[in-house]
Amino acid sequence: MGNQSCVKILNEWDIVAARQLGRNVAKELGFGTVDQARITTAISELARNIYLYAGQGQICIEKIYDGGKAGLKIIAADNGPGINDIRQVMEDGFSTSGGLGAGLPGVKRLMDEFDIDSSPGSGTDIIATKWLR
Amino acid sequence: MDFREKMEQEYREILINYLKNQSEQSLYQGQLFSRHTLEQKISPEEIVSLHKSLLLELYPEVPESVLHSFDILLEVMMGYGVAYREHQSLRNKQMELRTEMEIAANVQQTLLGTSIPDVEGLDIGALSVPAKHMNGDYFHFVVDENNCINVAIADVIGKGIPAALCMSMIKYAMDSLPENRNAPNLVLESLNRVVEQNVDPSMFITMFYGMYNPENHTIYYSSAGHEPGFFFQKETEEFSELEARGLLLGIDKKTKYLQFEKEVLPGDMIILMSDGVTECRTEEGFLEKEELIGYIRKYIHLSAQEIVNNIYKDLERLQHFQLRDDFTLIIIRRNV
Amino acid sequence: MNIKIDVKEKDSILAVKVSGEVDAYTAPKLRESIFPLSEKENVKMEIDLTEVSYMDSTGLGVIVGVFKSVRSNNGEFRLVGLSDRLKRLFEITGLADIIDINSQIEGGVQ
Repeated sequence: MGNQSCVKILNEWDIVAARQLGRNVAKELGFGTVDQARITTAISELARNIYLYAGQGQICIEKIYDGGKAGLKIIAADNGPGINDIRQVMEDGFSTSGGLGAGLPGVKRLMDEFDIDSSPGSGTDIIATKWLR
Repeated sequence: MDFREKMEQEYREILINYLKNQSEQSLYQGQLFSRHTLEQKISPEEIVSLHKSLLLELYPEVPESVLHSFDILLEVMMGYGVAYREHQSLRNKQMELRTEMEIAANVQQTLLGTSIPDVEGLDIGALSVPAKHMNGDYFHFVVDENNCINVAIADVIGKGIPAALCMSMIKYAMDSLPENRNAPNLVLESLNRVVEQNVDPSMFITMFYGMYNPENHTIYYSSAGHEPGFFFQKETEEFSELEARGLLLGIDKKTKYLQFEKEVLPGDMIILMSDGVTECRTEEGFLEKEELIGYIRKYIHLSAQEIVNNIYKDLERLQHFQLRDDFTLIIIRRNV
Repeated sequence: MNIKIDVKEKDSILAVKVSGEVDAYTAPKLRESIFPLSEKENVKMEIDLTEVSYMDSTGLGVIVGVFKSVRSNNGEFRLVGLSDRLKRLFEITGLADIIDINSQIEGGVQ
């Protein structure tokens, strides 16, 4: 689509690079400061998951347009161990990595749309979108 | 004006007032403001952002560094914002669970329901109250073909939902006993086999099973590790323990139970209970047997059901209306 | 509302010392710490309850569960330091007939 840029996640510093990319694109699209912070927090969380559980993967940021609407799409992909029970990781209060607010349910809440595809042994793909209001 | 605009307006006024006079009044307004924003589920990061933009608007010459500092604050508050929203959703979930529990408790009540038999010559009172929603105690009355009154009182070791589920199974097993009931010790032996086979190995049940024969006014009974009941002898006005030893249900499938018997004279009483009654903790420690007997004596002139109800009320008050364990008390008195 | 569990091995006996209250809140912790130990073949386990100020039926359930597990692994199991209240609880439930609750603490003068 030409509108996509990606950052490989290999170490903890790449999380910052992914955030920076996300913030730049969000600014270009005209997101306000609160939404910028929400988008970067979501990217951080997804990139951290890749770094912690899959070892490596990538985060891509895409500008999308639908009718008159513009939006930002985050695509997080890895070939890690995958998720056994998606319902469980999407449950509030389940997160293994930290307390309240961490994990995928938090990402889902920060964004407008959220989709996850994963199975054990074949990695995880997560797509999350935020629309400009 | 939508809520957001109104909110900005309100916050602007509070901020301007406070910057002017630093009064407690404005601070109080700030507190009230947060109550509104919480109601509307406004996250903390939005407040930070609002504050930053108002500051810039009111003081265009505010130093860049001060404005930048809000970016850090916003980022930090983002985490709190996400946690706040999760908290909201967990609260809703908790309400759902509570409703579900209440429904389950009603289902259980229906499932385990038993009616206190109306038998000529006997005055019977019984009450069972769960500490939380679901009851792990259970009592059951059946009048069999020979007009014998069978009474069972049981307590699952464990509390809450697992205990309640377990109790429903016991009720089922009791219902499938042959119509022509056997002696209490054989009933316990048969239930013991069911529990041993079907229940989690760390869950056990105590049960007292009694069979009152109105022909010869004798109660035949056996106990599977259950809190011993009392026997009140009218003639001497003395209480004694209904001694009956036996192992808990569910430990060893080959367990045999002993059967005891006692003749019941006019005015005599049989008092059965769960350990929620004697384990009832008060500020001074546990409720001692003598104290419980004291409570019974206090109400002994009343009907069996009234005695039971009054004792429950007293113990409830003694524990500041917070039961730690399920409470079950049964009194059977032979009429004078 | 707290519990402390100390496990020491001395002369091939696993000595478990429990302190505090064993109720619905702390019983799972007791179970987690001692149940895995009970699954070892021929284990010899001694649980000291001297410092237990309160134990309800949930705690009793854990003890019995561990006892059954030790027994099925051909081990030995005993309880020491029971208060009169606890002794009564074990007697009422008939457990005193199958679990050793009357041994003296090793080397202790009681």
